[in-house]
Amino acid sequence: MERIKEVLNNFDMEYVEDYKPTWVKAKLKNKDDITKVVKALKEVGIRSCSTVSPTDFPEENRMEINYFLEDIVNKKNVWLKVDIDRDLDKCEIDSITPILESADYHELESYSTFGVKFKGHPNLRYFLISRDYYGKFPFRKDFDWEEHEKHLIENVNAIAEEFFEEYEENEKTVGHEDSRTVLHWGPTHPASGPIRLKVYTNGENIEKVEPDIGYVWRALEKLSERKDFIGTIVAVERVCFMDNTNPMICYAQAVEEIAGKEITPFAKYMRVILGELGRTVSHLISMGGFFGTMGLQTFLMWCLDVREYFLDALEDYSGARIATACIEPGGVRYPLNDYKAWFEEINKAIEKWEKTKPDIEDIFLKNPLMTTRAKNKGIFSHEDVIDNYLQGPIARASGVKTDVRIDEPYAAYGELKMDYVTCENGDARDRLEIIYKEINQSIDLIKQAMVKIEEGIEKGEMDPKKDHLVKMPRRMPAGEAVSRVEWARGEMLMHLVTTEKSTNPYRLKIKAPSVNHTRMLEKLIPGHSLSDIPLLYGSMHICQGDLDR
Amino acid sequence: MSVWEMLFYILVFPGLLFLLAWTFFVFYFARKTLAYIHKRVGPHYNGPAGTLQTVWDVFKLLTKESITPKSADPYLFNIIPIITPLVAALPVILIPWSPAINGGRPILDTDYGVLGLVVLIGVEPFLLFLTGFGSHNKYSFLGGMRILAQMISMEAPFFLAALSPALLFGTMNLYEIMYSNNWLTTLILLPGAIIFIITMLGILEQPPFNIPDAEQEIVYGFYTEYAGTNYTLLKFAEFTEILVVSAAAVTLFFGGYRGLFFDSFWWLFLKIAILALIMVAIRASNPRLRLDQMLKFTWSWLTPLAILNLVWVIFAKLYILGV
Repeated sequence: MERIKEVLNNFDMEYVEDYKPTWVKAKLKNKDDITKVVKALKEVGIRSCSTVSPTDFPEENRMEINYFLEDIVNKKNVWLKVDIDRDLDKCEIDSITPILESADYHELESYSTFGVKFKGHPNLRYFLISRDYYGKFPFRKDFDWEEHEKHLIENVNAIAEEFFEEYEENEKTVGHEDSRTVLHWGPTHPASGPIRLKVYTNGENIEKVEPDIGYVWRALEKLSERKDFIGTIVAVERVCFMDNTNPMICYAQAVEEIAGKEITPFAKYMRVILGELGRTVSHLISMGGFFGTMGLQTFLMWCLDVREYFLDALEDYSGARIATACIEPGGVRYPLNDYKAWFEEINKAIEKWEKTKPDIEDIFLKNPLMTTRAKNKGIFSHEDVIDNYLQGPIARASGVKTDVRIDEPYAAYGELKMDYVTCENGDARDRLEIIYKEINQSIDLIKQAMVKIEEGIEKGEMDPKKDHLVKMPRRMPAGEAVSRVEWARGEMLMHLVTTEKSTNPYRLKIKAPSVNHTRMLEKLIPGHSLSDIPLLYGSMHICQGDLDR
Repeated sequence: MSVWEMLFYILVFPGLLFLLAWTFFVFYFARKTLAYIHKRVGPHYNGPAGTLQTVWDVFKLLTKESITPKSADPYLFNIIPIITPLVAALPVILIPWSPAINGGRPILDTDYGVLGLVVLIGVEPFLLFLTGFGSHNKYSFLGGMRILAQMISMEAPFFLAALSPALLFGTMNLYEIMYSNNWLTTLILLPGAIIFIITMLGILEQPPFNIPDAEQEIVYGFYTEYAGTNYTLLKFAEFTEILVVSAAAVTLFFGGYRGLFFDSFWWLFLKIAILALIMVAIRASNPRLRLDQMLKFTWSWLTPLAILNLVWVIFAKLYILGV
């Protein structure tokens, strides 16, 4: 930590201060220094860029850019701020992508939504947003949404026309002279989901892959600015339907930090249980989907069968199975009127899982055909993980010990016994096995948390009918906070900015892991054959919901 | 053979009606068994235990619009789905179906039965390649290329495995092969039968060799552009082929319609159903192989083993049967 501060103090800084146990927060005065600072930080081990988040302040005519830089191995992180001019022609800064390649897609996203030009970016282009927003920068505060929506039909027609023009041009230029061709893998492909991979193939061999994203772009970050602090949880939980609870925990923590409130121990343990239930539900689909990519649906069906029981538990608590909206700033949403009945429901789900486990191991995890296909395919080394900032299960499958639940304990994870689960090889098969191991870990955590709650209630320390929610102020003070959780697919980071006496977020940046994982496809897939695309793609456990937001 | 007899063969048994009934049955059977393994219910509402569901499905498909894509070759695209089921149904005349028909002999009782069977079964994939070629779609074309690759590599062991009973009994007449079979020869021919069943999975494009119509990779391959009637006809051809190849396997290796206590068509049917069950079970528990892995498997394992199997059959003929 001291070393990082020393490095930062060598430059012209407005302030350098500690923030949470693992972060250093600093503000750079001169924007031209940014590449030098990042280079110097890289030398002390900060090699991954989590995300780049601009915040727009039209009154002060400035754009504040937040860089979240992380050292995965030593758990030291830097939150670097720098102000730049807001005017479109002067709104530019040096790109850090040549130094930290994991910043690539995040810089493109900032350029498309805020119009921050990153000088020296290898391929600066519009990205993620729909074509009718090109050059309009929709996340700026002065963007007129209503005016834009008036021209909806015209915009759609323009997109269609452009498509046909492009199609005709491609008909002329892209011929079939030899065995080279371009395949569109998605967005209506049986195994793709709403993403398009442009696959340049030579016969069955893949030469190049270009991901084209943005098919489910809902502008959730902008949407949350229009809602109040409670209403935002509805936008946040829709990041991805598979693991629905953890994004809400992340958001709620950020709000609580700004409001300066501490939640009750009971609510903390409830968050652990709900979060782990969400993770299990998501992992069950990921695991089944992995086999689905190889044309075997049986496993998916079995996983969905088990998943039903976990959804039942979620439904019992919140009344909804998928979009639960069960965690809000200040704790968890509902009291537990009959905690024994709910724990009974969870135990039923756990029992079902324990009963299915031997079958899963024998039939699917040891399946010889799966092993021949997935073993030694798409290996990520330790270096790959750090340089491209792969997270969560993908990083742990390569043996990198990273887990926000342990690195920066939130909710009640600090009081529970848990360890990093890792695999060694980092190939596609390990990325399946890690998911299986993590489900077991989640279930262990749920059991521990249930015991703690029961003990607490017996001792009279917790009251499940009253302790669930702390009263939150109706209007928030000005402030900003960064909150991280370990989501089912990796680290989720939210950067929340509020203004004085505000009723809604001023800016909410959601950073989700699939962005980096999708970027990795460009390097992962070329050199393999066509049959490997779904397998490798499935092994990355990408969800387009959190990729596009 | 009278005209009425011939019409009966063509239209009722083992012709059109029988093949349709088989299509409905095997479609239903596969769906229901697969659903059971998937922990689902499967077809449920129409008819007792959902038996009529597949019938409705087929008629629903027939009422749908048959779309010919703008870029496809219209003649090739539309004529192949008509030829394919006809070619798939041709080998039916070479197989002895029942003691009640033609005195228990195949309708076309020839001394080159095995040869005819193998050739007619081997023609089918080339027609499917043409569907992919005529669709003028990248995915369909890739599917067509995959069919050719799979066919060429699967046909060698298929041929060699089908040859082993002919070699053992010294005849290519299917009726005679069937009647020469007994418990001992079935055991001798067992390695050949296993190779035959594995290659059968490849030729029928069943998992784990469903590489040409891999939906996750190339969007159902040659089926991509087909809809409505054309699709139904292609599916009909596929199920007919399943019937013919399984019946060939049973006739060659497991004594055809001969059974315990009495000989009947139902013994043949039972044996085919068991083969279909094995196919569904493999489908429900194994992921797909990659194209290059399949090529490696057939050429470096299956073909040499099939040749070794022939050596074993000759050895058994000389020293065990002592002919």
